[in-house]
Amino acid sequence: MSEIDESKAPMSSEEQKAYQARQKHRSVILAGILGFMVVLFYLITFVKIGSSS
Amino acid sequence: MTTASHTMQGLASAKDLFALTKPRVMSLVIFTALCGLLAAPGSIHPVIGFTAILAISLGAGASAALNQWYESDIDAVMKRTSERPLPAGRMDRETALHFGVGLSVFSVLLMGVAVNWFSAIFLAFSIFFYAVVYTIWLKRSTPQNIVIGGAAGAFPPAIGWAAVTGDVTLMPVLLFAIIFFWTPPHFWALALFMNSDYSKAGVPMMPVVAGRQSTRNQIFGYSLVLAAIAIAPFALGLTGLVYGVAAIVLSVVFCALSVSVARSKTTVPEDMVAEKRLFKFSILYLFVLFAAVVADRMIVA
Repeated sequence: MSEIDESKAPMSSEEQKAYQARQKHRSVILAGILGFMVVLFYLITFVKIGSSS
Repeated sequence: MTTASHTMQGLASAKDLFALTKPRVMSLVIFTALCGLLAAPGSIHPVIGFTAILAISLGAGASAALNQWYESDIDAVMKRTSERPLPAGRMDRETALHFGVGLSVFSVLLMGVAVNWFSAIFLAFSIFFYAVVYTIWLKRSTPQNIVIGGAAGAFPPAIGWAAVTGDVTLMPVLLFAIIFFWTPPHFWALALFMNSDYSKAGVPMMPVVAGRQSTRNQIFGYSLVLAAIAIAPFALGLTGLVYGVAAIVLSVVFCALSVSVARSKTTVPEDMVAEKRLFKFSILYLFVLFAAVVADRMIVA
C-alpha cells in the first residue's frame, strides 16, 4: 500500500495513521464476518446431511 | 483532491459500506421476506430459514449499493441524499460498484447452495430488476418509474415463500401485488413534499411531470386498488378472520388518508400535513398487514 502511495503523493503522518486505523477496523470486521460464515456453512452442512439421510 | 484523500476514498470505512446497503429500507425487506417465509405452507429448518432471510437481505443491500453507484450524481443534488457515502466523497464509485456486484453474486450463490435454486434465480432477477430495470432504465426516463420499479421491492415476500415451498402460488402473488400497489401512494406522498429535491435532480417523479393535483388523484386511485388487493386473500379464503379484519380496518384508514391528500390543495411542502400523515401511515400499514398474515397463519396452524 505505502509503495503505491509514495509513487504518487505521500500521505501525511496523520493521514497514514487514519488510513492504518481504518484498515485495521475493516480487517477486524472482515474476520468477524468470515468467522460467522464458517459457522453458518458448518451448520448448513449438518442440516443438509441430516435431511438427506 | 489530493492522492491521499483518493486513497482514503478507495479504502471506504465499514460504516460507509454498511450505509451503502440502505439499512432502513433493508429492515422492511427483511420483515416482508420473513413474513412470506413464515406464512408459507410447510416447514423450513431454522438454519436454512435464517440463511434464506440473510441471502434476501444481502441481495437487497447489493441492489441498494448498485443503485447508489449509478445515482451518485442525482444523490449529490438532493438534500435528503447528499450525505450518502458517494456524494459526500467518502467513497469512490469503483468501490461501490465492486461491493454491489460482489454482494449480489454472493447472495445468489448462498441462496442457491443453502436453500433452493428456484428462490436463488428469483433473487437474482429481483436484483437485476432494481439495479437495471428501475435504476438504470426507468428512473430517469418515465414518471411511471416507481410504479414499475416498485416490483423490485415487492419480490422479498414471494422469495421468502419460495424458499419454503420451492414454487409460487396465488398467495405470494397477492403479497407481491400488495407491495406493488402500495409503492405509488407511499412514494408519491413523499415526492409531493420533497418535490423541489426531485425537480432539482431532474428525476421525472409524478409531481414534477404531471403536477401535484394529478399525483394526489392518482394516490387516491392506487389506494382503492391497494384496498381491493389487500382484502383479496381474505375474500378468496386464503387467510382467516385475523388477517381479514386487519386488512379491512387498515385499508379503510389508508383510503381515508388518501382522500385527505386528494382534497389537499397546498403547494408549500411545510403545510403538507395530509401527505406527511399518509406517508407515515403507509409504513405502519405494510408492517401491520404483513404481521397479520403471519399471525393468521400461526393461529390456523
